[in-house]
Amino acid sequence: MVRGLGELESTIMDRMWSYRRPASVRDVLEDLRREREIAYTTVMTVMDKLHTKGLLRREAVGKAYIYRPVSSKEAYTADLMRESLARSGNQAATLVHFLERLTPEEADALEAALKVYPPKGRA
Amino acid sequence: MTVAAVLAAGLTIYALVAAVALPRLLGRASWTGRAPRLAIMVWQAACVSVVVSVLSAVFVLAVPAPVVGHGLAELFAQCAEVLAEGPGLTAATALVGVGVAGALVARLAWCAVAVLAGARAERRRHAEALTLLGRHDGALDAIVVDFDERLAYCVPGRQGKAVITTAALRDLSPDETAAVLAHERAHLRGRHHLVLAFGETFARAFPGMPLFERGRAELARLVELLADDLAARRHPRVLIASALVRLATGRAPAFTLGAGGESALARVRRLLAPAPPLGRGERVTGALAVGVLLAGPAVTGLAPGLASLLAHHCLEFLSF
Repeated sequence: MVRGLGELESTIMDRMWSYRRPASVRDVLEDLRREREIAYTTVMTVMDKLHTKGLLRREAVGKAYIYRPVSSKEAYTADLMRESLARSGNQAATLVHFLERLTPEEADALEAALKVYPPKGRA
Repeated sequence: MTVAAVLAAGLTIYALVAAVALPRLLGRASWTGRAPRLAIMVWQAACVSVVVSVLSAVFVLAVPAPVVGHGLAELFAQCAEVLAEGPGLTAATALVGVGVAGALVARLAWCAVAVLAGARAERRRHAEALTLLGRHDGALDAIVVDFDERLAYCVPGRQGKAVITTAALRDLSPDETAAVLAHERAHLRGRHHLVLAFGETFARAFPGMPLFERGRAELARLVELLADDLAARRHPRVLIASALVRLATGRAPAFTLGAGGESALARVRRLLAPAPPLGRGERVTGALAVGVLLAGPAVTGLAPGLASLLAHHCLEFLSF
């Protein structure tokens, strides 16, 4: 089954995030081979690309590199989501949020407005 | 020439007055919330009309009427010599006119490209990160991201995607989730990001102009109202409203700072107590306004040329 490089990147990042310890190309390869046929060079290429993209950091141990994620999946997600929300405010054409940011007072006012019309029964 | 000067002055005065008065007039109008699609068209037409009226003013001054008349006559009668016989452009005025018009158009085009290309690059970067962090949920037809803030948004573009976080899925009922995603898909299907890019382009090209500044904000607001209305065709309005409230409340500080919330409250009120849609008469009036805003300045700019055409070339046409 041919899969896109993007999907392989995603799979490898998920593995790297799940290990919670550094891993070599060989480690990842053996892990992936439990589920599919895959060449060493393919995994190496993708991990090198993830390193170039700034998602993995690596250090040389002997002849090979040992890789680890630059940040946790949670931190990376938080950065992306915060960025997406910030951008929707000043560069609206990029992403369209269901809801812009609100102050707590505004959120309270919203809740009060809904209490007048409870969702049940009226739908 | 005096007619041209009067027309040019009129067009310029219109552009100046419209740039200041139109945002007040339109911004205060309550009908916009009852017909967001029409209101979007009126705002866009207003922005275009100001720019076109400046271009028309330049055109009227720089290009003497007989030239336009001959030009059109040439077009109709395919008579090449007519132009050579007529009085040519006066070099100086034409140069200034072309300079002003060119600068105006170039500025708009430059900003449009910058806005569109910038947004596109950002979206591509975001979508790339989403392929690592999110997973496509076939049943929802949306990207689900593991994250403990309640967020829903869309990444527009050729392969637009709706995105929703696990926290939002946890706190919304399935019906509310469907309503939220319908709202996002309405943005995607309607290519609303292009409407937003339009507003962004004009506001960025001519900063400080009340019409364009207000236009950008109004277009952003109206696009949300339109998406609410489109989602409400298939989902109860009260569910969209309750989803809005649930997504709005209880957010972490980093996600609650900033302005823009008034429109959310207005959206909830509007969803819960919708005003009747515009009647046919009001819609026709709105459509006429769009037509006048778009065609008025251009027709005014061409008027001396058309008059000249009729005065000098009618007989030629009749003799054919």
